[in-house]
Amino acid sequence: MSKQFAASNSWVILSDLLQREGVARQHLNSYNEFVTRGLQNIADEINEVEIETVSTPYKVKFGRVTLGSPRVVEIDGSVSSILPMESRLRNLTYSAPILLEMTIEEEGLPRDTTRQHIGDLPVMVKSELCQLSNRSREQLIESGEDPNDPGGYFIIHGAERVIVGLEDLSPNKILVDAEKLAGATTYKSRVYSSVVGYRSKLELTLKQDGGINVKIPSCPVDLPYVIVMRALGIKSDRDIANAVSPKQEIQDLLEVSFDKASEAPTEKDALVYIGNRVAHGMLEEFRVKRALSTLDWGLLPHLGKTEDRRFDKSMFMGEAACKLLELRLGWIEADDKDHYGNKVIKFAGQMLADLFRTAFRNLVRDMKYQLERTGQKRGGNVVGAAIRTGIITDKLNNAIATGNWGRGKVGVTQLLDRTNYLSTLSHLRRVQSPLSRSQPNFEARDLHATHFGRICPSETPEGVNCGLVKNLALSAIISVSVPSQEVEGKLWELGAKQIRDSDEKLQVEGCRIFMDGRFLGYVDDGERLAKAFRKLRREGQINPSASVLYISPVNDNAYPRIYISLSSGRVLRPLVVVESGRPLLNPEMISKVSGGQSAWRDLVDQGTIELIDANEEENCLVAMGPEDVTTRNSHMELFPAAMFGIAASIIPYPEHNQSPRNTYESAMAKQSLGFSSPTYPISPHVRQHLLVSPQAPVVRTRTLDLLKIDERPLGTNCVVAVLSFEGYNIEDAIIMNKSSVERGMARSFFYRLYDGEAKQYLGGMRDTFEVPSAESNIRGYRGEKFYRLLEGDGVVAHESQVAGGDVVIGRTSPPRFMEEYKEFEIKGPYRRDTSVAVRPSEAGVVDSIFMTENVEGGKMFKVRVRDMRVPEIGDKFASRHGQKGVIGLVVPQEDMPYTAEGIVPDVIINPHAFPSRMTVGQFIESIAGKAAAFRGSPVDGSAFAGESIDEMEKVLRGRGFEPTGREVMYDGKTGKKFATDVFVGVVYYQKLHHMVADKIHARARGQVQMLTKQPTEGRARGGGLRFGEMERDCLIAYGASMVLKDRLLDEADKTEIYVCERCGLIAYYDAKQRKYTCKIDGDQAKISTVVVAYAFKLLLQEMMSLNIAPRLQLKDKV
Amino acid sequence: MKVLEDSGSSVALQLEGIDRSYANAIRRFCIAEVPSMAIDDVVILENSSVLYDEILAHRLGMVPIRTDLERYNLPEECDCGNPLGCHKCRVLFVLDAKGKDKVMTVTSGDLVSEDRDVRPVSESIPLIKLAAGQSVKLEAYARLGRGKEHAKWQPCTVATLTDGKKEGVFILTVESAGGLPAKQVVLKAIELLEKKLKEIQVAVGGPD
Repeated sequence: MSKQFAASNSWVILSDLLQREGVARQHLNSYNEFVTRGLQNIADEINEVEIETVSTPYKVKFGRVTLGSPRVVEIDGSVSSILPMESRLRNLTYSAPILLEMTIEEEGLPRDTTRQHIGDLPVMVKSELCQLSNRSREQLIESGEDPNDPGGYFIIHGAERVIVGLEDLSPNKILVDAEKLAGATTYKSRVYSSVVGYRSKLELTLKQDGGINVKIPSCPVDLPYVIVMRALGIKSDRDIANAVSPKQEIQDLLEVSFDKASEAPTEKDALVYIGNRVAHGMLEEFRVKRALSTLDWGLLPHLGKTEDRRFDKSMFMGEAACKLLELRLGWIEADDKDHYGNKVIKFAGQMLADLFRTAFRNLVRDMKYQLERTGQKRGGNVVGAAIRTGIITDKLNNAIATGNWGRGKVGVTQLLDRTNYLSTLSHLRRVQSPLSRSQPNFEARDLHATHFGRICPSETPEGVNCGLVKNLALSAIISVSVPSQEVEGKLWELGAKQIRDSDEKLQVEGCRIFMDGRFLGYVDDGERLAKAFRKLRREGQINPSASVLYISPVNDNAYPRIYISLSSGRVLRPLVVVESGRPLLNPEMISKVSGGQSAWRDLVDQGTIELIDANEEENCLVAMGPEDVTTRNSHMELFPAAMFGIAASIIPYPEHNQSPRNTYESAMAKQSLGFSSPTYPISPHVRQHLLVSPQAPVVRTRTLDLLKIDERPLGTNCVVAVLSFEGYNIEDAIIMNKSSVERGMARSFFYRLYDGEAKQYLGGMRDTFEVPSAESNIRGYRGEKFYRLLEGDGVVAHESQVAGGDVVIGRTSPPRFMEEYKEFEIKGPYRRDTSVAVRPSEAGVVDSIFMTENVEGGKMFKVRVRDMRVPEIGDKFASRHGQKGVIGLVVPQEDMPYTAEGIVPDVIINPHAFPSRMTVGQFIESIAGKAAAFRGSPVDGSAFAGESIDEMEKVLRGRGFEPTGREVMYDGKTGKKFATDVFVGVVYYQKLHHMVADKIHARARGQVQMLTKQPTEGRARGGGLRFGEMERDCLIAYGASMVLKDRLLDEADKTEIYVCERCGLIAYYDAKQRKYTCKIDGDQAKISTVVVAYAFKLLLQEMMSLNIAPRLQLKDKV
Repeated sequence: MKVLEDSGSSVALQLEGIDRSYANAIRRFCIAEVPSMAIDDVVILENSSVLYDEILAHRLGMVPIRTDLERYNLPEECDCGNPLGCHKCRVLFVLDAKGKDKVMTVTSGDLVSEDRDVRPVSESIPLIKLAAGQSVKLEAYARLGRGKEHAKWQPCTVATLTDGKKEGVFILTVESAGGLPAKQVVLKAIELLEKKLKEIQVAVGGPD
């Protein structure tokens, strides 16, 4: 088999995978699971409420949860079904009603069953609940949607919000660690035990003296290990020691722990011991009770919270201590917290479940209170009346709208990035780590070997979030949870034994089996079991999402262990199964998939392809391609380039670049302008860009096809020469050909949406849309010329040219405080002008106007202004290799250098851009682009599998060009040949959204701040440019005192104040008496005028308000 | 001097015995100074297509148009003095297209000119696609202009001056965009260059 097999053929499988699953599958799966099962589970958790009324108490039992379809309830109470586009345009929330069956049960007899609306659930676009989920391409277009939109986000009050994936430590896993502190090593064993709703951390520490301490969150002090074991109901010391390990070396290490537990030799004593610490000073009976509840609820809650789980907990505790001591003995290695097998990713479903649980509990509590207050009346209607739907609806909406999840969790949701199509896709595959960005966390930020194929190695931001914000690789698949019963059953069939059924020999020599944090039992041969498990999975008898890890320890004394994971949120990746040195994937299967007769799922079902999580991968030996497969291999890569994420996948020949360059490009691609969506004529985003003539790149990667970037491109193919040009392209500036610009290269539109709605106020008054008239005494009237473009309905005319300050929506509001006006103003109340005007620094043409009604029934206008942006000096551009630069000069074509063929470059970049950055990929792209132009077909530049440079050189040679891409060039100004040949080729350039038009700013005079009378800050407020401390230092050093005074006083906040020379305090001018007055010195005052900065005056007065008397001592200037 | 090629759309001349700077000036004049016809002003009466007015106008401007330098004046040199122009300095094009039931492509051939000699070089340049019910109705005015003002008025696509085999020998190659024959572009460039040099000559007090 050749390289071609890996390169082109198995690619088909991955392509099929992404086409079918879509980019946002992880969000949709997670949300769908929440809707179909999660909601019901949460309702079942509570199950019923007892209504304790005086005479006959009754119960309300909860039944089935169902969901309606997305709809809006209008102000008049009418209900209509909505689509996402309507929600976006009308600022609505795309949500569906949650209906819960409630049965009233009196004296054990069910009486009345009703379905009650308990609140609205925001609907994830394209989830099963969404109206769009099973529409065809044509139907989607009909519904006003982009057929390529991946979905996976919510629409709250018209804004698209994504719940980004949240990386978390795997729950219920025992992780052991050796910490070196000041020479001494402490060994720790930690478990984050999580059940729905909360988590509890258990920590076992091996002290310096050899004793083991246990830390549980609900207990303020550490407890001796053996006491906890006794309290859990293990009576004999022998059993406790055997629970840890029957091996002698381990039991020897336990001796100290037993000594330390001598003060509580029995179960009762142990419980009292714990009780003394959790409920100090209470009755003994009560202390024991508290101790038991601490053990049931605070210790390893994932194993259950009831009495009968204590045995399981003691066995789990045994294992925790066993791993700890095995680590101490050097039998096993410390666990790696950053191993991706120890991580899970939480998506929308899990996040919403947390939120819904608290909201639902609040609702039930409120309902109980209402019903108990209502008293004797009962029945479906009464229950219905007691439900305040807002509790759930508002909680969910607010959380998603603000990203505020409660308990300090902020930034959980983000506004969906619609800069271009690629940035949207990338945003939907983002993963955030909850680790603090202010701490270094070096290891957590590092790329880990287990990220391969799961997390993109390139796409991460620079700076504080580096390595904490990640992006899923193309091949990453997020596991869905697998029901444990059936898998457990299979294990028993395969010869696993429960702990109680394991004889001593098995307990000593066997392999311990764990399933999702539960200690299941033992098996004699773990490796055999793992193999058999995999066999069953390949045969389709076990869910493909289930994974098994067999660990054979470094030292034979330690236990071998098997870990079976069934949980959701693990990152899997598809690999081709290799059996006895031969990959099971054959060309026939591939052609079936490419022909559409079968799907990648079928290959998984038949065991050709396996989904492997980071843990199981420890048991695999993966070959990079068919040519590398040996008999030792268990798996083979599907397509190596799938190790990249969305953004890095657009880079041609990335394997030839220095790696940070790919990282830079991954960040920049998300800022490039393109064709973000075919819905652009009605897209209701506040800011939006559109590239006028976008092009599909001629040097491509296969991922571009897959992601349909060709249909939503984000750049232009440019002829690029590498040449210095009169110094105008130093420091990464680029030269652009004026003719290219005039012919329309990199032209874009910028859209800004202005909206105004008519609010209703108390007392029946409301805003009106109108042209504010000069005659009707309107407060804040701007002047006639600002309203000139408004039509009769108070809104600007379509296609009219607007500039900064021009009103686009004319609106007046009723006076704010009615009474106040009546008293003081003769003319009666004024209406206020609350018109919406174009931003002061922007201009454009009125592009589209939307008139609609918001959910409160108020009329609403949205006006979109477009502005054409022709490339100009200072606009930012970048190639696909992290080579960014601003236009330094736009050069007339006749001045530009030309080749013998008459080719004039579109762009000239400086040769200094290359040596230190080593973006060899750009050279190859340049040559490949040139070859593509000659041969008339695009070049495949996919990572590791692109067309070879030799191929490109052949094309160039065939056309009589240098294979190096260098050409003779002439100076356009003189007609002289350049002394050296120039490297010219075709490179795909992206226009980034940092444009001079959005940033240009200057100020002569302008607004000042109210408090300090200093110039305002920022372009939007016409602010000044700060003359800061360092600038001040320069003037002082230079001795330019006049300039210094001019900048910092005369042209800033110069003020005159009156100072009484006698008392040194501020005096004032009394206008009635026409004299300067000092309240302290009265007639004796000698008042002088002093010029100071207003900020200084403010300081004096602020000090006075703090009971400090700042006195100025004045002296004449000599 | 030797004419190496003259195919109408392309001309190649071997120049010998003239200074490089003079030869290059001719090349630069071919690009920037020789006037040609291009649509300049567009009055949009109706546009319900997906393209904005300004984009449509820009596209119209890029259409190369057959130029008659004898009959038409540059607007700034025309004696009409009319800011809107006259029959000697502008040509009116009319486009009136309606989308039928299928998506149709409006091309440069659909532009109706008031002067049958002044028309797009090719009739198959796509201008806009119209879906059913969409329509475009506009009047476009073509004027003479110079490449230095806007690329749409460049009469040639290629204009190179390359070194010949011998020292002091240059090859001037000009390919026309189609509005003017390549030879005429070169001739006009020489004429204009001479005119400019003459101006200098007069300015420094030489003979007229």
